[in-house]
Amino acid sequence: MKRNYTGCAICDSTWGNVWAEVEGERLFFCCDICVTQFRRLVDRVKRETGWTSLDALDITGDRRGRTCVAASGRESLRFFIAFTPQGEIRSFGRLTG
Amino acid sequence: MTSCPACLRPLGQADLLALAEHLGDEAEASEPAHVRWLNQNLTRKKVPAAELLPGLERVYDLGSGTLKEWIKARFISKFFGPVPHPFVTALQHPSRATLLGYVVEHQHFLRQWVRSCAYIMARTDEPKVILYELDNLTTEYGGPGPGRVAHYELLLRMGESLGVDRSRVLTTPPLPSTREGVEGWNDIATRQHWVAALAAMHSLELIANRNLVQDGASVHYFDPSILSGSEIPDAAKNFLREGYEADVTHSDEALDLVTEFGSRPDLREEVQSTFLRSIDLFDDYLLARLERAAEFEA
Ligand SMILES: [Zn+2]
Ligand SMILES: [Zn+2]
Repeated sequence: MKRNYTGCAICDSTWGNVWAEVEGERLFFCCDICVTQFRRLVDRVKRETGWTSLDALDITGDRRGRTCVAASGRESLRFFIAFTPQGEIRSFGRLTG
Repeated sequence: MTSCPACLRPLGQADLLALAEHLGDEAEASEPAHVRWLNQNLTRKKVPAAELLPGLERVYDLGSGTLKEWIKARFISKFFGPVPHPFVTALQHPSRATLLGYVVEHQHFLRQWVRSCAYIMARTDEPKVILYELDNLTTEYGGPGPGRVAHYELLLRMGESLGVDRSRVLTTPPLPSTREGVEGWNDIATRQHWVAALAAMHSLELIANRNLVQDGASVHYFDPSILSGSEIPDAAKNFLREGYEADVTHSDEALDLVTEFGSRPDLREEVQSTFLRSIDLFDDYLLARLERAAEFEA
């Protein structure tokens, strides 16, 4: 998966030392909560779009809420996502344009 | 005593370097509260412990201000910055669901509130602090006298006015963030110095302090116009108005006491760290209100 972050796959932090396999790829995370967030994000995007995999993910924002663009093949999805302190999805919305 | 703002472990006398090393060690172990604290307060980029020191010194430095001013400034930047806390945004013109999320989770908060204040009273020997807490507990829980009911009762009435019976409110277990908050505040009240507990608890009343806008808050806790008009039921107005009126003096007086008794060099950093821990718990707890509100959305 092509990503804009080089640190933690959710928050780009380079603290911590958690590695987890998501979508067949071993990714770096700062903590377990970010792992949960990432898994929930990927599952939700797949559910919303019917895609079987994600080719790219671009994230901006912070813990108050993140604006993301996900892509699979020639399709893409822009969305807003925010999580609970435990890493579950608290709010999700598709964005247009 | 310097203590850790993520776990409150004591780390030695005025020893920010020990704190930097502790934060680095815990982050290396991917401990979420420590990683979070570093990410949000210092840097998301991993650096050797010694390089954290200047940032830590900036966080803990009071500059030319008092402890009260330092607490207010930190509180404002966390909850009332350019992007306010999502619960504050939702409360500007609250939906029925938002108010009910507030009722269900806040019931647990207020019950812990009484315990925390009682611990502070039991552990201090300063008459001023005892009198302050007595007054606070009366307003929040006991009820200030004939015809005037406590904030706790006003909360339950707000729930009833929105169609949720108090028996349902009282039997609903807290969401995880509320439970963690309650446990964290209980630990603070029983284990930290009583001045640190005083700072940790009563700084939270800043959330409803309507004078914060003068100190740089981007918005009020809620848009004051909802107290007139018919946007929300009268019982909700009564609950919100009470906090709007009481919490100015509650938070201001308590923070004056914190400044008076907590500025001693051997106490100050413990007070600061305990406050920092408390506002992280509070940030999560406010999100639990929104999480609960989602259950009431039609
Ligand atoms: Zn992360
Ligand atoms: Zn710690």
